[in-house]
Amino acid sequence: MGDLLFNFTEWLRTTALVDLALWISETKASEIMATNFWAIPAFQVIHILSIAAAFGSILMINVRVFNAGGTSQTLIETANRYVPWIWWALLFLVISGFVMIIGEPVRELINPIFWIKMVLVVVAILLSLWFHNGVIRKAEAGQGVGGSARAGAVIITILWCAIIFGGRWIAYAPA
Amino acid sequence: MYPEPENIWQTIEYSKVGIYIAESTWAFPTLETIHVIALVTVIGTIAIVDLRLLGIAGLKQRFTELSRDTLKWTVGAFVLAAITGGLLFVSKASTYMVNPYFLWKMGVMALAGINMVYFHVITQKTQAAWDVYGTGEIPTGAKVAGLLSLLFWIMVVGFGRAIGFTLGIFY
Repeated sequence: MGDLLFNFTEWLRTTALVDLALWISETKASEIMATNFWAIPAFQVIHILSIAAAFGSILMINVRVFNAGGTSQTLIETANRYVPWIWWALLFLVISGFVMIIGEPVRELINPIFWIKMVLVVVAILLSLWFHNGVIRKAEAGQGVGGSARAGAVIITILWCAIIFGGRWIAYAPA
Repeated sequence: MYPEPENIWQTIEYSKVGIYIAESTWAFPTLETIHVIALVTVIGTIAIVDLRLLGIAGLKQRFTELSRDTLKWTVGAFVLAAITGGLLFVSKASTYMVNPYFLWKMGVMALAGINMVYFHVITQKTQAAWDVYGTGEIPTGAKVAGLLSLLFWIMVVGFGRAIGFTLGIFY
């Protein structure tokens, strides 16, 4: 695994991402981030709080899907309560994530774990679109909470855990 | 290889567990990851209750139902966060004990705990009157508890991140 990641890094070093990262690092915005000691941790705090909002919301939808709580509400009422929080949190995650890339472009863009995380994020977004717009609405249309709703709930939760794993391990990528 | 411990924190740090985590390449980041997953669950579920107390979100559900559905996750995830946090602490005990942000984090968590106990023991006594579906009037004491809880937990995340950026500065 270490070798695989190392080779991934070596390959990233041959791409135009290097020029992009170096160009970003010379911008004024990047300099401001780099010279303010608390800038990166401050945006990490926004990032973590946004994950908390999204993860808590996903948990409550899952609890409802598995009939483990919130049963005074229908599945669609539960979704209406929590789904907007997930997408708003995602917006804050993307913005704070972009700011952190600007602050430390080489650490992020020339990092195999960063790109693995990005792929997982795209998969999670596509799955969530399917889950929120397809599965939940269909379950509401009278067919009840089926296997696809339960599978979707579990897979999305595992994906988010994997994304969090990637986020933490960006700091420990073999370089 | 390791010097004789001179105080209790070094004794903890130079324990088998402490040395194992400190020397391992994967243990510390893995524990950190589980810590993050646990803490976002704690804060996410607490925020849901806080926002209900503040009358901002979740008003379609009774407070007691929301509280019951979230509390077991909050408690379970908090235990997991405490275990992983404890193991992270053991691996660098003396470094954490001289870090002001670590001490602030522990202090603010204690305040969050006091706020929660006060709410459950005192303020919730009156909940029969305001635990209603919809937009029943929530007493000021409950709103204050929700606001303080949100603020304390945001501060806990802030100090927690600050610790990671200042290890080695104070020691």
